[in-house]
Amino acid sequence: MEAAFALTDTLPGIARAPATLARLVGIGKVYGTGANEVAALTDATLEIRAGEVTLIEGPSGSGKTTLISILGLLLKPTAGEVWIEERNVAGLSERNLPPLRARNFGFVFQGFNLFPALTALDNVAIAIQMKDPRAKDPRGEARRLLALVGLADRSHHLPADLSGGQKQRVAIARALGGDPPILIGDEPTAALDTKTALSVMELLRELATVQRRAVVVVTHDPRLERFADRVVHVEDGRIQ
Amino acid sequence: MWSLAKKLLLHDRLRFAVAIAGVSVSVMLVLVQVGLYFGFMDTASSLIDASHADLWVGKAGNESFEFASPFDERAFYKVASVRGVERTERVLMNFAQFKLADGGDLGVQIVGIETTPGRVPLLAPWRVVAGDLNRLGEAGAIIVDKSEYPKLKIDRVGHTTEITGVRAQVVALTQGIRSFTTSPIVFADMRSARSFMPGLGDNAVTYVLVKVAPGESVAAVKARINALPHLAAYTTSEMSKRTRAYWSSRTGVGAGFFTTAVLGVIVGFVVVGQILYSGTLQYIREYGTLKAMGARNSMVVRVIVAQALISAAIGFVVGGALAFGMQAAMAKANLSVALFPSLYAATLVVTIAMCSLAALLSIVKVLRLDPASVFKG
Repeated sequence: MEAAFALTDTLPGIARAPATLARLVGIGKVYGTGANEVAALTDATLEIRAGEVTLIEGPSGSGKTTLISILGLLLKPTAGEVWIEERNVAGLSERNLPPLRARNFGFVFQGFNLFPALTALDNVAIAIQMKDPRAKDPRGEARRLLALVGLADRSHHLPADLSGGQKQRVAIARALGGDPPILIGDEPTAALDTKTALSVMELLRELATVQRRAVVVVTHDPRLERFADRVVHVEDGRIQ
Repeated sequence: MWSLAKKLLLHDRLRFAVAIAGVSVSVMLVLVQVGLYFGFMDTASSLIDASHADLWVGKAGNESFEFASPFDERAFYKVASVRGVERTERVLMNFAQFKLADGGDLGVQIVGIETTPGRVPLLAPWRVVAGDLNRLGEAGAIIVDKSEYPKLKIDRVGHTTEITGVRAQVVALTQGIRSFTTSPIVFADMRSARSFMPGLGDNAVTYVLVKVAPGESVAAVKARINALPHLAAYTTSEMSKRTRAYWSSRTGVGAGFFTTAVLGVIVGFVVVGQILYSGTLQYIREYGTLKAMGARNSMVVRVIVAQALISAAIGFVVGGALAFGMQAAMAKANLSVALFPSLYAATLVVTIAMCSLAALLSIVKVLRLDPASVFKG
């Protein structure tokens, strides 16, 4: 059983966050040109609100990953608007996006993507430092975040010495580095057994409820629906 | 960044060891090859550099210091009479046959100098470690270098032999005076030297060493001597550079050593580049994750450059120590490897540049890394 959560803190940045943290309006994304043109997303509109868990479901190739990539400012849409921090950032160049991503998003992946050479503490601390080179005490903040996800006693373990669930908690702690209001998970429970998957989802749910973060999770797993405030179905590039 | 870079490097210790080995071998090759070159060059010009003369005067048209054509002694008096010349001394250099103890002969380079009791010659054997330098004025007296013992098949001061049929006796030994031509240098007084090389006649001189009078301009005196027919004067520094340049270009020794040094750098470049690149590929998803979460390219690039610089620093220390060991080992084989602080400093700069350039491929890979790729697969 994973250690108990410690989600009693509230983060000052979150308290001031507006109810709507991000908004996609009429998003379209086309890959390729001419005969090879493929429409991955068509006229997708989605609002991401503080304190909500949004599940994005759909078959493989339906456009889920494209949707969260555009939401997370990792991909430029070919049409539509992306509203973050109360402005449309769809047209911003890649050079201007890293600070926006650092301020607004944390990412959690199916494969954890933790540096195998670094301890849990270092993995979190380095992400904090990378997001903000002027961060005052990245290691202290990393300790606090690991405690928040119930891994205070595992902070000096390498990823290889952690269970799948513990690795994903480290990844969540890393995603929380820099205090982003939106967490985006790409199949974050797919590599975990049922019990651990539900435990990780509970943690994400509490992050939304207690800390008023917006959690957006792409999944194929219908068992996670009970944690969601909203389930968005994507099929053939359209939000149903 | 340094901490992350260090941990990423040390995580795979075998790969790190290979990277360090690559840099170390590269550093050692550069130091030893360039050091050998400078060692050879020091050897080539050691007689000139050890002299106290302001000017060396030889026959015009001579290219090689060792194989210079002699000229008639009358020129010596002409030089001595040039305004501004305080003192002149003759030097006679040529090759002669040294009779070995086993009956064979060995070509040696005779260096005939002027020995005047009570006066320090402008050119004299230095680093005398045994025997008596003052006995060089005796008929047939010679001074050889200790390192040439095996070649000359002698083992002590007092050894008697023949040079071109004339009796010669070792009266002193030096340490570390060797010839670039590989023929042992044999110092002798002018009279003895002429007796060892009868073919040159009694009036032959190879060089005239000049001490310029106090208050006189060396350049002005040099110009006056150069105005004399068939003679060419060089400052000691010019003569030294000229000799080094001759051996460096004519024998190709410079190109040879520097080519090997460059190959060393290329080997280091390839090894470090490959190691850094494979390390970057290994962590590409993690780097992508950092970029996705807002890390700027410059931050991720710093981690890679830091890895390159750590490899450079450790490789330099190990390679530098290896070169030091090689220097000691080569000294036993009579090979001089000239290692000096500025060579180490230059090699450190080359090593840093090599490792930084080797990191370029990894840097390009990270710069081109699409942060959205972390969502793919």
